[in-house]
Amino acid sequence: MSEDLKEEMKKLKEQIADLQDQLKDVIDAERKKGHGVYIDIGNAVRGYVEDEIQAVAEGVHGELEKSVFIGPRGVRIFRRRAPDSEEDEHKVSLAEVAKVMNALGHEHRLKILDGLMSGGKYINELQEQLSEITTSTLSSHLNVLEEAGLVVQEKVRGRYLITMPGRTAYKMATKAGERVRQDDEECHTHCCDSDESDAEQV
Amino acid sequence: MRKDYKLDSIISKIAEPLVLWQAEKGLVEIGKDALAVAIKLGDRHEGYVFHGKAKLLLDTIVETEKGAIGKSTEKEANEPFVMLGNTEEIQRHLSEASSEDLRRMGYENQQGFEAEAQNVFDRFFMRGPVHSCRSFDERDGSVFAFQNKASRFDILVLDGSKLVYRATDMVFIADGTKVILKSSEQFVLSTGRKLVSIGKPCCPAQP
Repeated sequence: MSEDLKEEMKKLKEQIADLQDQLKDVIDAERKKGHGVYIDIGNAVRGYVEDEIQAVAEGVHGELEKSVFIGPRGVRIFRRRAPDSEEDEHKVSLAEVAKVMNALGHEHRLKILDGLMSGGKYINELQEQLSEITTSTLSSHLNVLEEAGLVVQEKVRGRYLITMPGRTAYKMATKAGERVRQDDEECHTHCCDSDESDAEQV
Repeated sequence: MRKDYKLDSIISKIAEPLVLWQAEKGLVEIGKDALAVAIKLGDRHEGYVFHGKAKLLLDTIVETEKGAIGKSTEKEANEPFVMLGNTEEIQRHLSEASSEDLRRMGYENQQGFEAEAQNVFDRFFMRGPVHSCRSFDERDGSVFAFQNKASRFDILVLDGSKLVYRATDMVFIADGTKVILKSSEQFVLSTGRKLVSIGKPCCPAQP
């Protein structure tokens, strides 16, 4: 080994020792402040860690997709397929939302769903509940609900059943209706109060 | 044991539309003029190979407290298919098939249909699910094997209230309150009180 190289190594060791001392000082100072230590580990390492975290997250997500249980208390997790792009997801979900909202947007169709919440029914049983409309109109409403995936018909027995999405959609629709009514009432009360106070001021 | 099954030499036809099986969850019906050749085990009629317009309807739906999952299955069987089970009722609805009946189904002569029926019969018994010569008349059981597009069989097995349907795109098992539905998109197991569901809960009807 040449003398130059030995000299070079000695200098490097001294530099490393200096850096270690500086680092120790920084850590001691931060400890006294009670703060954590932040060391920039560089983009390459950060990228690797992010990749690892992403892989673990995907693994957990995958396991969740596979392991779904619905017990008596209704705990459930359903698979959510990753869309090809955000744009596609937007398009698909909006189209589906429109279909479901259209199906829900009629008093008689909501009454049909309400009737099916207690169990499957034949068309004549539904007709009894909706005596104000004709059988053909009822069939037409059932078709709309079926196309939206809210209702399914047993082809053998002919009974109509409300689907899982159907139950969810009906509950959300009734809750939304209730909320709007409550907000209307609150607004009305508030408006009346304002009118009265305005009148007093006058 | 499988080699004991053989096809009869008499070709018959269905004289009038006939329901081959019907229960709460499904039915199999066959149209008028469908060709039929008996599957025999010794002197006993154990089933038939049919060729005609047949339809399978199955309510492959799982009904749960959280809502229904799945949809009904409706398939037409225009290719020859195998049926094993009680044949008494079927025999009462058969008449002799004429050359015209054979031509209507696309066969030049009796040998044409015999060869096709033998082909289906061999494929079902040599590579199919029947592994014993238990007589189906002894129990309220039936087996239907419909040819699918993949040149394999969609199998429907019935035993009293128990039902198993295995097709290329789905498996449906019903035994009283216990129901299992497995398709490419979902797996659902319902025991009446408990429900296990993996995958999408339900698919909207296809346009």
